Amino acid sequence: MRSPFTSLLSSKYGIIVLLGLTVLFAFIFVPEFGTVNNLTNIAIQSAPLAILAIGQTVVIIAGLIDLSVGMLLGLIVVIIADLMQGESSMTVVAILAALGLGGGVGMINGLLNNLLRIHPLILTFGMLSILQGLIFVYTDRSVGQVSSEFSWMANGTVIGVPFAIILLMFVALLTSFLLYKTRLGAHIFAVGGGEEQARRAGIMTGRVKIWAFIISGVSAGVAGMLVAGRLGTGYPNAGVGYELDAIVAVVLGGTSLAGGRGSILGTIAAVFVLGVASNILNLMEISSFVQIFVKGLIVVIAILLNQPKRIIAS
Amino acid sequence: MSDRMGAEIDGVQTKIWRWASSNAIWVVLALLFAIAALLSDAFLRPVYIFNVVRQAAPVGIAAIGVTLVMILGGVDLSVGAVISLTAVLTAVLMDGQVANIPLAVTVALAAGACIGGINGTLIAYNRISPFILTLGMAVVVTGMTQIYSGGTARGIVSPGFREFFNYRIGGIVPVLALTFLGLALLGVRLQQTTKFCRNLYLIGSNPQAAELSGLPVKRITIFAYALSGLMGAMAGIALLARSGVSSTFAGRGLEFDVLAAVILGGTTFQGGRGGIGGTIAAVFVLLIAFNLVNIVGLDYNAQLIVKGAIIIIASSAYIYFKKVR
Repeated sequence: MRSPFTSLLSSKYGIIVLLGLTVLFAFIFVPEFGTVNNLTNIAIQSAPLAILAIGQTVVIIAGLIDLSVGMLLGLIVVIIADLMQGESSMTVVAILAALGLGGGVGMINGLLNNLLRIHPLILTFGMLSILQGLIFVYTDRSVGQVSSEFSWMANGTVIGVPFAIILLMFVALLTSFLLYKTRLGAHIFAVGGGEEQARRAGIMTGRVKIWAFIISGVSAGVAGMLVAGRLGTGYPNAGVGYELDAIVAVVLGGTSLAGGRGSILGTIAAVFVLGVASNILNLMEISSFVQIFVKGLIVVIAILLNQPKRIIAS
Repeated sequence: MSDRMGAEIDGVQTKIWRWASSNAIWVVLALLFAIAALLSDAFLRPVYIFNVVRQAAPVGIAAIGVTLVMILGGVDLSVGAVISLTAVLTAVLMDGQVANIPLAVTVALAAGACIGGINGTLIAYNRISPFILTLGMAVVVTGMTQIYSGGTARGIVSPGFREFFNYRIGGIVPVLALTFLGLALLGVRLQQTTKFCRNLYLIGSNPQAAELSGLPVKRITIFAYALSGLMGAMAGIALLARSGVSSTFAGRGLEFDVLAAVILGGTTFQGGRGGIGGTIAAVFVLLIAFNLVNIVGLDYNAQLIVKGAIIIIASSAYIYFKKVR
């Protein structure tokens, strides 16, 4: 009954096909879309979410979830901007602070997850609230200023390619290597696929889960550096809502919320589907209210097309 | 570890622990209430207590519906958006006229049930994750609310509407608090007596078996989600009655407060377990905690930190009581 087209859309590569179709549509119907300027813009705007979503993919493959990343990103943006105060000499310190803070909070999530044994959704929701409180105890208005190196990281290009995209590709390759080529990666899939079996097979499941949360936290650190660079200052609300966008992208990309399977490539494609769609609506001068509505529709339709039973990842 | 503890303590204590483990959330509630009463006399004054109940109404009412869906093995993250939509819808349709109240309330309830029904239908006929579908639906509904409200607070609440719900019977019990408690008791009663609720547990604990034994799984799923949407709409009306706020973001983020309460109350993502009673206790645990923070005199930002800590600590305490036997 299904036409070849719908079965292609609902296959493992569905989201990539959807991305292709969206871009094709944009090239044909929206003349401003194809300009180098506009494409660069989409790339720069989508990169932080894509990096954050890659970290979330790892956590979800491990059968967990991390709601705290949005506020973690916000906290990192505020703290590194305040650290730098526009000084180039502080760039390296800020990078280390972003990665350290991200990894540190991720590690706390992981340790608490193992120690308290409460559902990760509740744990990281609690952490979201704590981090939000910390941000606003720290500051309730924009603070600090990023160094010129940070601005370049977020907005600059290397022979025409935005640096943010190079960073995204680096993160994607590194995470893919970790997931598919290392023992830790195999263990992450195993723990997500069935924790009890993984434990009986001798995998230190607790340690694997801590690593999954650390990876997610570090991805929030890297994404936070890009967001800080783009904003130029430490805006306390910078991270609001990022966690849900990341989870939506992960699931649209074909990763199962039940854990045990997933795809980095799918996640990145999903981020760009949403990014390109939002860009098209912007270029067509459609109000932001309608945009929210359309974004929701895209999510619902994409999920319906891309039913979990048909996704066989890796 | 539980065996060792069981051997060390005598029979009476064992019995107490048994009782505590099966009513863990009520123990946590009692402990928290005792701490609250020690810290502030306010918690011993009936007016204040019923104020807390009134405050709990929107999240509590929505949590009743979400509990049903989660017993079934699903989840409903669209309630926050439904609360916003129905609050705006009710206020706009009222337009400051008393005569419009029945229409406004009916339309809002119908809208909520309808959104829930769509959620249920899509979930029943497709093998999709309810988590992500209702998350997507939340975005759709938020968009609709934005378009409808034009992005600002809209509508005029009819005179007498808020006064009625906030009127204190005997000077103590606000009507809204009474409504919430009534709905909660009704929910608990229905959960114990109706075939529909028994079927929810059956489907939640083993969907395949339920399907094979001829239960109308699809119909029950649709009905449960519709009920969750309906309760979401009631929560929206309750929020409007309590605060008078009717903007797109009135219910923003409430879905996670609801979810925290349901899970804390002992209803799991896997389904088949838990119940409305536990959810209601958990709603009060969370709310007393926030009020406590308020009374101790911390500002809103510090409250967020404590709120997060309480969610984590209360959940852990719950699991601890549950495990110790």
